[in-house]
Amino acid sequence: MSFLGYIRSDGSVGTRNYVLIIPQGIIAKSICDFVAGTKSILTVDHGSGRTANDREQIARLLIGLGRNSNVASVIVHAASPGVGYPELRAERLADEIAAGGKRVEVLDPAKDGGTYGAIVRGIQVARMMVHDASKLRREKVGDEYLCLGVKCGYSDTTSGIAGNPAVGYLYDKIVAAGGTALFGETTEIIGAEQALARRAVSPDVAEAILRAVTIQEERAKATGLDIRTVNPVPSNIKGGISSLEEKSLGAIHKAGTTPIQGVLKYAERPTRKGLYFVDNWMGHLSIFAGYAAAGANVVLFQLGGGGVAGRTLLEGSPSVVAPFLWATANPKTYAAATDSIDFYSGTVIEGTETPEEAGERLYRTVVDIASGTLSRSETLHYAEPIDMYLQEPRF
Amino acid sequence: MSARRALIMHPSDNVATAVEEIHAGEEVAVPVRGSVLTLHAAEPIPFGFKIALQDIPRGGIIRKYGETIGKASLAISKGALVHVHNLEGTRARGDLAKGGKP
Repeated sequence: MSFLGYIRSDGSVGTRNYVLIIPQGIIAKSICDFVAGTKSILTVDHGSGRTANDREQIARLLIGLGRNSNVASVIVHAASPGVGYPELRAERLADEIAAGGKRVEVLDPAKDGGTYGAIVRGIQVARMMVHDASKLRREKVGDEYLCLGVKCGYSDTTSGIAGNPAVGYLYDKIVAAGGTALFGETTEIIGAEQALARRAVSPDVAEAILRAVTIQEERAKATGLDIRTVNPVPSNIKGGISSLEEKSLGAIHKAGTTPIQGVLKYAERPTRKGLYFVDNWMGHLSIFAGYAAAGANVVLFQLGGGGVAGRTLLEGSPSVVAPFLWATANPKTYAAATDSIDFYSGTVIEGTETPEEAGERLYRTVVDIASGTLSRSETLHYAEPIDMYLQEPRF
Repeated sequence: MSARRALIMHPSDNVATAVEEIHAGEEVAVPVRGSVLTLHAAEPIPFGFKIALQDIPRGGIIRKYGETIGKASLAISKGALVHVHNLEGTRARGDLAKGGKP
């Protein structure tokens, strides 16, 4: 029960060893284009016109990505030198990332010779950071240093029967080993919230789960729509899922059976080990970056089958610094996109493996990837933009 | 020909999920607590879709995973396909909250 990881000065352990450059923009992009081993992000939202709560959510995402154990060191550039919102100022982001114990450098075009100057200096700094990071060797550590994040998508009934149960086995195993496991998608626990609340470690946590669902359900009702015109999404219905409740009850199997330690906001870091529910949105462009910011060092997308016909290449979702795995239990999906998929558990439906045997195989796959084997999506440069989960109106 | 397979997730479920394509009239075998329940499909049940294990009256609760996944919007006969045409969710229904008809 161990993997090979990069031990950080704060005691966390990385499964990767990147230099991160944030936020997005031409400075970050130029440095990443020039210097190997670097990562940045892509979003369409810089916080302009956003409320204080949403700006803080953006800051939490950026700081969390910087503090992720897969990041050796960080460059923060001042996107709006001297005039940005206080929550998003480079010095603030840098200070909070550095509080986690890693090296952080700030680029400020106002002091570094303008945008061109900041790019040149950033390339120089990033090269040394990458070089220094490469001196670190992987060491054998226990599974308690794994932090997983999962979502299920394009769900069909294979998700609930054979896909999510294998993930649930993995989650139970990692939590039993002292690790951390995150799941979420608040809309998609509607109908299953009582089953989850019964697993809360305390009445307060149970209350927080039910409150998150109530708020989301009230929002849904306020639209005046039959939720089935929104979620389950058309691909779910095409895959045999008939109601939101059915989707939810299948979805929660991915969270295993261990007690729920708490309810986290998007991109919020857990304070202890164990299983956490994250009050987030299901969108794959949103959720994985949030998990990585919360500290996930491996993330999984458990894929159904509806709506993926003809998709023989699955490009992965933006998880920035966390290796991203595709898993499916749908034989048609697997046949269509075999070389994109890291793990297949349709064997449970075919009757050749039990959910536990499939889960054990998934565990070995995750440990392998945590130890350095590239996930299928990591073999591609392509990264989609992050759709940050922001809930308040823009002005 | 051997029976087609469908699975329940909990002993109290009144629908089972087809884990292979089931054609109209075919025999369906559902493992339940160590024995096997058999019934005939009244219509095609595609892979991943649900078959009713008993007659369910209009308004009756439909159970999967041992929990409520919705109620019958029409009377459903044993062996029939159960999906959005005869099952409706009861949660987050903005249309009902706005006074729409169930």
